Amino acid sequence: MNQTTESVTIALAAIPNSGKTTLFNRLTGSSQATGNWPGVSIEQKSGSFALGEYNCTLIDLPGAYALSPVTEEERVVRDYFLQSPPDIIINILDARNLYRGLGLTLQMALSGLPMVVAVNMIDEAGRQGISFDLKVLSRHMGVPVIELSARTGEGIPGLKHALYEVIKHPEKNRSPHISCPPLLEKAFMEITKAINQSGIETRLDHTFFAMRLLEGDDQVQWINNDKVSALTRKWHRRLTQSLKTSIPVTCANCRFNAARGLAMEVLRDQPVFEDQLTKRLDRIFLHRFFGLPIFFLLMFLLFQGVYGLGAPLQELLSTGFDRVGTWLASQVLVISWPVWLQSFLFEGLWQGISVVTSFFPIIALFFLFMSLIEDSGYMARAAFLMDRLMHWLGLDGKAFITILLGYGCNVPAVMGTRILTSSYSRILTMLLIPFTLCTARLQIFVFLTALFFSPVISPWIILSLYVCSFGAVILTGLVFKLFRIGGSPEPFIMEIPPYRLPTLHSIALRTWYELKDFFFRAATLIVAGVLIIWLLIHMPADVPPGSAATWAGQLGHMLTPVFYPLGIGWQETVALIFGFIAKEIVVGGLVVIYSGSDLAGQMISHITPLQSISFMLFCLLYTPCIATIATIWSESRSIKITLLSLISGMGIAWITSFIFYQSGLLFGFH
Amino acid sequence: MTTTQHMPVSSLQARTECVIRSLGPDDKTAQRLAQMGILPGTHLHIIRVAPFGGTIEVSGDQGQSFALRQQEVAAMTCDPVAMPLTSELVAVGQTYRIRVLMGGKTFHQRMEREGIKAKELLQIQKTGTKPIPVYLVDLNRQVKLGEGEAKKIIIERISNEPNY
Repeated sequence: MNQTTESVTIALAAIPNSGKTTLFNRLTGSSQATGNWPGVSIEQKSGSFALGEYNCTLIDLPGAYALSPVTEEERVVRDYFLQSPPDIIINILDARNLYRGLGLTLQMALSGLPMVVAVNMIDEAGRQGISFDLKVLSRHMGVPVIELSARTGEGIPGLKHALYEVIKHPEKNRSPHISCPPLLEKAFMEITKAINQSGIETRLDHTFFAMRLLEGDDQVQWINNDKVSALTRKWHRRLTQSLKTSIPVTCANCRFNAARGLAMEVLRDQPVFEDQLTKRLDRIFLHRFFGLPIFFLLMFLLFQGVYGLGAPLQELLSTGFDRVGTWLASQVLVISWPVWLQSFLFEGLWQGISVVTSFFPIIALFFLFMSLIEDSGYMARAAFLMDRLMHWLGLDGKAFITILLGYGCNVPAVMGTRILTSSYSRILTMLLIPFTLCTARLQIFVFLTALFFSPVISPWIILSLYVCSFGAVILTGLVFKLFRIGGSPEPFIMEIPPYRLPTLHSIALRTWYELKDFFFRAATLIVAGVLIIWLLIHMPADVPPGSAATWAGQLGHMLTPVFYPLGIGWQETVALIFGFIAKEIVVGGLVVIYSGSDLAGQMISHITPLQSISFMLFCLLYTPCIATIATIWSESRSIKITLLSLISGMGIAWITSFIFYQSGLLFGFH
Repeated sequence: MTTTQHMPVSSLQARTECVIRSLGPDDKTAQRLAQMGILPGTHLHIIRVAPFGGTIEVSGDQGQSFALRQQEVAAMTCDPVAMPLTSELVAVGQTYRIRVLMGGKTFHQRMEREGIKAKELLQIQKTGTKPIPVYLVDLNRQVKLGEGEAKKIIIERISNEPNY
């Protein structure tokens, strides 16, 4: 039987660390789509599920503490509610600590939109011996309250049933009353009246609307009504003068006064529960002396887990691709094709696909381990331990982990900036990661140092390059901080959630979506980039690839004035163009350019040791590879940030090599 | 009378507790704290200081635990409620009650022999000298404590203000 299905939009809104993602995964399963919220680099996730005859679209809103925004995320949530209110809200409360989330719950209950409150982590609360009377909560809020555990799936049918009932029999919910200072109440009342008379059409409760207007610092952008705007501005001024604290703080105070009483009633006056396990674990993990060594040990394991396991897999994949490519190229049918077409297909397109695919194992492992660290609650501890050092760079402690992982490969590290809580640190970190010395660059350095230096000196040169990379990260961090790239920092107040056991389900889903995302967002760009480089190296068609007569060679010659002061000849300039594809093929590129025979001998006769170091410095600092640029673009969704990354890399690389080479010459090295 | 004050960064040590009176001058920080349920009147417990300093873990009275920077707490005005005996927040001549003794069993036994145990009242009459002279009010006795010992003794204010 084919019933007509009606679509319903449900918004999932909760404060951070309340298990929102787990519930989202639990409800939507594998029907998720990701994108960005308009105009900002904040991920938007939505999914769908069926509920009887209804087709529900679930929107996963970013974590927010309140609808009076402090962060970019909260602004997104607030604007979403005001501009396109959902049909139903699911709000999540953490059963282990109701008070924490009740502020937002109360605020949303005032919106007048139908709502279902899910009290999550009921299993863990039970383990801590917490018991509730959720009827009290339901009565106060005027909305259904369902207890569940998104982790185990307990209570999910109950939630679905409650949602179904709310859709089927929509009732305007009765807003809870929160008492405020009289002057504030008067302001709300007057503005509400003005909204009533203005004929503004909204499904939101008008008092709720009035509150948002009065609390927002950027007030009146969502209404076109001069009378309401003027009244709001008047009251805003008046309240700012007479209240002791700012309007949002006063309102939060009212809400949490109500929340405190409510939590006490629901918990039947039980004392506040402490999570003994968390307390005990923190005594080890955050220990004054052992905390940091444990952290570094875990980071070492993380690094080894991602790259120690990932690199051989990556190797295997690219060898496999090469073999298949060679086999395909040797087919009779293919050999009959024109040479340029063969080259385009196998050295261009196939190479591009191979580059994309080779990232899959490390991205998968990266997110596998990252989710483990994040979901367990250790990430917040790591951030706490490293905060002082990173604060100095204007970043928070979590940025340390992503930057550290850049030393393996920049691509997953840039994707990992998603764990950072503010868009400010996300952008700043994204710009710093390209300066980390990834393993692909290490290959070039190992090759070149072995060629030009004795085995005693080589390790020291590589070590110095690492030091140089740290230096570049720190210095550019300070400069970017100074120039306020990425906006102004948000206040650092980070919740330290109780430890939790991550679920395989969440981790697997997350990893799967990250891979899918990488494929759809960045892959085409990477392949396109590889093809452009292929064109440069192979055109015009009648000259040997990579030779002086190709476009790349011509470009290399054209750039000679730029690179001459760095001691980099046109051959190496062409190799640097190769390096855009991936640093792994720079050495291979040199082989092509010096046309094969006795690469080592030719290079030694062409390049001095000083020039080789200058070349390595340039390699270290200029753009990592097309994949990284593509990922920065797909993560930031900003041409400006992507270009800034490209240009700052080039600029810093040039300046560093220039200073190094010229002062080397001055000191009589060559 | 309470002594509402700014707590200097150096006094923000583990096991210090204070009652927030105002959330400080930075609007964004104040708003964020307020939205997390940390408001004037909240008891803030300092749980630990991060290894490099600068960042501390605190918990509010509803059990929520979070990290923030010492400067942000220093910018608030707070009434200190409890602190280690060595804290610079301890006022000379004021009577305090011993809240709890940290440390191991032998330490507890040694202190008990001196008459120092939970609920006992004491005063500090002079600061800046080592060992630290402590006057035990009920026993009418002077005891000298080493700094390492005094650090493990957590004392709280006794005052006429109502308990929150």
